[in-house]
Amino acid sequence: MNLKELTIASLHENLVKKTFSAREVTRDFLDTVRAEDEKIGAYLSVLEDSALEQADCVDSMIKEGKEIGPLAGVPLAIKDNMLIKGTRTTAASKILERYEASYDAEVIKKLKKENAIFLGKTNLDEFAMGASTENSGFHMTKNPHDLKRVAGGSSGGSAAAVAAHMALAALGSDTGGSVRQPSAFCGVVGMKPTYGAVSRSGLIAMASSLDQIGPITKTVEDAEILFSAIRGNDTYDATSAEDKAIHEFRELPSEAVKKLKIGVPKEFFVDGMDSRVTHAVEEAIARLKTLGFTFKEISLPHSKYALAVYYIIMPAEVSSNLARFEGMRYPGITEVRREVNNLRDLYFKTRGEGFGAEPRRRVLLGTYVLSAGYYDAYYAKAQKVRRLIRNDFEKAFRSVDVILAPVTPTPAFAIGEKASNPLEMYLSDIFTVQANLAGLPGISIPVKKYTVGSGELPVGFQLVGKSFHERDLFGIGKLYQREE
Amino acid sequence: MKREELEKLAELARIELHSEEEERLQRDMENILNYFKELQELPTEDVLPVAGGTSFSNVFREDVPGEGMDGEAARTAFPETEDGFLKVPPVFSAEGGSSSGGE
Repeated sequence: MNLKELTIASLHENLVKKTFSAREVTRDFLDTVRAEDEKIGAYLSVLEDSALEQADCVDSMIKEGKEIGPLAGVPLAIKDNMLIKGTRTTAASKILERYEASYDAEVIKKLKKENAIFLGKTNLDEFAMGASTENSGFHMTKNPHDLKRVAGGSSGGSAAAVAAHMALAALGSDTGGSVRQPSAFCGVVGMKPTYGAVSRSGLIAMASSLDQIGPITKTVEDAEILFSAIRGNDTYDATSAEDKAIHEFRELPSEAVKKLKIGVPKEFFVDGMDSRVTHAVEEAIARLKTLGFTFKEISLPHSKYALAVYYIIMPAEVSSNLARFEGMRYPGITEVRREVNNLRDLYFKTRGEGFGAEPRRRVLLGTYVLSAGYYDAYYAKAQKVRRLIRNDFEKAFRSVDVILAPVTPTPAFAIGEKASNPLEMYLSDIFTVQANLAGLPGISIPVKKYTVGSGELPVGFQLVGKSFHERDLFGIGKLYQREE
Repeated sequence: MKREELEKLAELARIELHSEEEERLQRDMENILNYFKELQELPTEDVLPVAGGTSFSNVFREDVPGEGMDGEAARTAFPETEDGFLKVPPVFSAEGGSSSGGE
């Protein structure tokens, strides 16, 4: 079997036809991880034994002639900020180095019911804070297309694992672009669902009004299969949409897809943009036009404020969510615990040593924008501008069904290039944060590889849809890929 | 951002700062806060703030007993336990002369 050619859809066919077994394919992926991951660094932990057990379970179902679902036997990689009971879950932070999850995240429960296989937990920027996976508390993840470049982030481990055929598909989480951006850098498909479409229960929270779990896959069709399995209401997530609120999820017939009108926001195409990004987006538009789609220029006048709004609201929520890591409720840091003799010192030392530079910076920034005297000027102001950004989208969606935009301002950048300037790193999210602030679904789809320096790097484009209209994105994306 | 300001924030956030990072942090915070200034040019008096990620309100559910969390698993996630109880360091330091272990 050729792992490079395999998709979720084709694996299923092969398992049913008994071309190969779930154990064989799982073994192949684990062997690839063993051979390749030393140089890429996508995984934080590999769950070899339990993965093979899960595979055997699927094989016996097939042997007994039982019907298997589309995800049965599919080897997945899971970002290490999602809990799998009994396994180490770190969010790539030293502060959780010894934490073993005491329950399953809702998405994991759902995937277990589908008999999917968990190959391991993937690397991320610490607590999902970053756009390069250089900020992991353990090691960085490199781009499989060019090992001198970053994989993107924060779901860099998941995107690199799929791109390097070390997993058939993966889960990531997207707070400001953390699924879509690394997927674009690694040349795979990444999708952020509508806020509330997928339960966040068991996802280590970063910014709760923005976080969503989403699939990272090789094809749009695979993203649709994985999304269909993880979506749905959950009483353990109070922001989870009731099933009646979720647009009934079924495939759109292709005639209906072709009637979707695509908007292109003029504010996203500015002078001085990276030429490869411009080419990729133009190429995507041209291809969609030949498929019969109609385009319209639209305006999102407040989009230029989105990044500032995001970098106020997100740290504010971070400072509150990360308050729980104080050395008491999770295993903490053994050495710190030994040397302190009161609770106050435990807090300060655990957080001082356990959090890396970026979480510290964001907790401090969040504390600042929420503190008396600054609250109105920063946090309250940002919440209001967030409304204006949402209104822009509502207005745009009166004349178009889907919005097309770049995913990232550049192809994957070099390791270390933005490491010393946090603001520069924040600018990587400039085309992706809007969807999170407005709660909308977005998907990043690869266009092709472009020459960058001495090598070639993938560049993608982004589609943003109306709330709970994921099927519009999948519909267009599948047609786009079918014609390739 | 002044050093005292940064130290006050660290105190509020319960983070011990490393002396060698303070200067850089002051500079980073200053740059980031400057970037936020562009928001001030927007008039927003009559704009309703967005709080949270959804427009849902008052999400209720039936009060029915469900599956609880595995107590043993929860205890293992805690750094120190004694006889099935969770143990924390004294709230007041030994020099303060108060409190022993904790529960």
